[in-house]
Amino acid sequence: MNTPELCTYMTQGAVMPFCKGCGHSNILKKMNDALGKLNLNPNDVCLVTDIGCIGLADALFDKVHTVHTTHGRSTGFATGIAVADKVLASSKLKTIVLIGDGGSMIGLLHIVNAALMNVDVTVIVANNFLFGMTGGQTSSLTPEHFNTVTSPFGSMNPSLDICQIADASKAGFIARKTATDKDLTDVISEAIAFKGFSIVEVLELCTEHGTKRNDLKGNMLLKMAEEEGHKIGVIKNSPVRPEFSKKYETDVNSHKGEIKPLKYINPKFIHNLKKPNGIIFSGSAGERVQSTAAMFAEAALMSGLEVTQKNDNPVTQGSGFSLSEVIISPEEINYTGVASADYVIVVSENGLKEIKSQDVFNRLNDRSIFIVDDSLVIENKGLNIISLPLRKYCGGDKAAVGAVDYVIRKFEPFPHEAFKLLLEKRFGEYGKIFKEEYYKL
Amino acid sequence: MKMNTTTKKLALRNGNQMTAEGAIKAGCKFFAGYPITPASGIYKGLIDLLPLNNGIAISSPDEISALAYCVGASMRGVKAMTATSGPGWALMIETVQYAMITETPVVICVVQRLGPCTGGATQGAQGDILITEFASSGGYTIPVLYPTNSKECYELTVEAFNWAEKYRTPVVLLTDKEVGMTTESLDYNKLNAPPNANRHVITDHDADYENWKMYGFDSPDMIAKFAPVGGKVKVTATGSAHNAKGYLKKNDPETLATLKHLEDKIQAHRDEMVLVKEDHEKDADTLVISFGITARTMKDAVKKARAQGIKVSSLTIYSMFPIPKKAILKAAKGCKNVIIAEENINGQYRMLLEPLLKDFNIIGINKLGSMITPDEITERIVTL
Ligand SMILES: Cc1ncc(C[n+]2csc(CCOP(=O)(O)OP(=O)(O)O)c2C)c(N)n1
Ligand code: SF4
Ligand SMILES: [Mg+2]
Repeated sequence: MNTPELCTYMTQGAVMPFCKGCGHSNILKKMNDALGKLNLNPNDVCLVTDIGCIGLADALFDKVHTVHTTHGRSTGFATGIAVADKVLASSKLKTIVLIGDGGSMIGLLHIVNAALMNVDVTVIVANNFLFGMTGGQTSSLTPEHFNTVTSPFGSMNPSLDICQIADASKAGFIARKTATDKDLTDVISEAIAFKGFSIVEVLELCTEHGTKRNDLKGNMLLKMAEEEGHKIGVIKNSPVRPEFSKKYETDVNSHKGEIKPLKYINPKFIHNLKKPNGIIFSGSAGERVQSTAAMFAEAALMSGLEVTQKNDNPVTQGSGFSLSEVIISPEEINYTGVASADYVIVVSENGLKEIKSQDVFNRLNDRSIFIVDDSLVIENKGLNIISLPLRKYCGGDKAAVGAVDYVIRKFEPFPHEAFKLLLEKRFGEYGKIFKEEYYKL
Repeated sequence: MKMNTTTKKLALRNGNQMTAEGAIKAGCKFFAGYPITPASGIYKGLIDLLPLNNGIAISSPDEISALAYCVGASMRGVKAMTATSGPGWALMIETVQYAMITETPVVICVVQRLGPCTGGATQGAQGDILITEFASSGGYTIPVLYPTNSKECYELTVEAFNWAEKYRTPVVLLTDKEVGMTTESLDYNKLNAPPNANRHVITDHDADYENWKMYGFDSPDMIAKFAPVGGKVKVTATGSAHNAKGYLKKNDPETLATLKHLEDKIQAHRDEMVLVKEDHEKDADTLVISFGITARTMKDAVKKARAQGIKVSSLTIYSMFPIPKKAILKAAKGCKNVIIAEENINGQYRMLLEPLLKDFNIIGINKLGSMITPDEITERIVTL
């Protein structure tokens, strides 16, 4: 069996690129030992490094896959790697993130979500309480009163407890250690072996910026954490939640059969349309305006016509107006707006307001026909308006259905049978969809 | 009633749905999404389609994560895609550059809506052309394809994956609210997508393995073979300037050459990346150029102008970037006027074509907040 001394993942004789005494060196050595302890095949290890001094680590490891990423985003890239590996590939990979306190602050959401997903990723947070690489500025993990180059009188805020954040994100393995702890190798190897998300925060000192401004020694790290109210040691080791790919198997993959297949349409009828027709449907949200337009479009397609349907509604989909512009045509349709409407269907006050604001009265031709609910008043002169008690006979939720059914019955742009087929599929027997009086219109 | 007996396979589909189906055809196995109108349909489409096609679609907590997940998945060796609109693209810009510098194939669909900022979520626009293309520090070319209808969404999504794989680069499939969300009739039997291309993967028993480098090249057109994370060949990837082996280096000649190669490789292949449709009319004085939803308007406008006896040509541009300069000059040859129609206030593509078309009378047709109409283009053609 390989011993830590025999199995090294770090380049032989690698020179640490850090300042003298920097805690990062220790963390990397311990991580290397942890990999050795687990005797992992180097091809099955991916080290994903963040930005900052700690991010320089990738260049020290010449055996394992290394992916040096952007500031704070390492856990995001690692999540993609781990999900693809576990669900779509060999499922052998151990993905390890090395990130600083600064990186874990800007990329906090990636850590939170990786923990929630319980992806098989280990995040090692090298916490030296400040941004080392950029000159020692404050991060969210800087303890209160800690002196940094940007908090020369001491940091004003308490430090973020990233282990508690991980706990709140349901991480299964959480530890807070210091870089000089004798058992750091064991804790890191436990974290890597953990099936699912694990996080190890390692407290350490930046000798260049931290110790120069604060009266600190390595053995004071524990006291600092305590003062901030942060727990030490292995805080949680609970492998109860299934790792992401297992959960995906039970929660999604096993339901594949329930996914609706794509719908295709059989052209069963023959239309008799010579020129494109433009129809504007306008009404209120929640009153089936766009779905009726879609039914009309489908019936037209069943009759061999080309169709486009362009919808419009306010940002909140469930309130205000709802509008569709449908073109049916014997030839290819290019411009998808209704420049000149052959039919304008208006079934509510919201709908009327909207066609005014969308300038529909200037988008008419000499054949344009309005089908409007009889509760609405259109004052414009010289229009061909058919006013019908649609809301009364069909109900508000089917007024648009009744209106377009009327258009197809009376003007036959394509066989009414096509539309009737869809209506019956959706609402049952045609003669019973609306009130009796409707059918006499 | 007589039954129509055709061999068509018809459906009503919008551009977003066909982008999702195109991704499946292209061999996409991974999608990560974050909701945003007008792009959410692609997300929903792939949530349904990927599990049925041995893939996975997941939800991300923001757009930076969405793209980072995709890049990670692609590094593991699978084809990956995400979709967003202007505000989400703004968040992705750092990560797209990471894909670029690490030469990781990935496709990002950007379905444009009205900007700036949150702008108009349910309003169409073509105002993200510049921010899409010029999203990298250093100004490297991001290949961009732009379909005009749902059929082309399918076909160009496949092409976008092919480019991403062949040239090891992020590729943007640019669409707009109208193309993405307008439902239209579609005959599946007429879909005409190219065959799928796949990245060339290095293995340790390849003849060229000894000399292989992560980002190596001997000539401008060379694309290094790809090594997936988790494979037998060690991956050394970094978003920092690096030498051909992937190690961070500052300003040594090899590192600068490796950076320059990111652009050179695209330029070396630009003639293979030309997708345009020319509707040429002999002796035309005017050429109209457009793309996306406005290219459809242009077609109707040109038909109307010709019906009035005017000689006019048109050019639909699908491969927006690299700019298909030769194809544009060829289409403009013999014309006096070039009209460029696009739904934004400043004529974004026109600005880029101006130096190329300096010998022509250039006219922009621009609009904010709603589609340019056929008459608005016809009137300009006729009054020239
Ligand atoms: C988006 C972005 N913002 C800022 C930076 C600049 N930057 C480089 S390193 C660094 C700080 C890293 O601090 P930390 O993560 O704590 O690592 P350390 O250097 O302390 O090891 C910053 C802010 C960057 N690279 N990217
Ligand atoms: S600046 Fe600080 S964190 Fe960076 S190498 Fe030096 S001691 Fe380490
Ligand atoms: Mg730090």
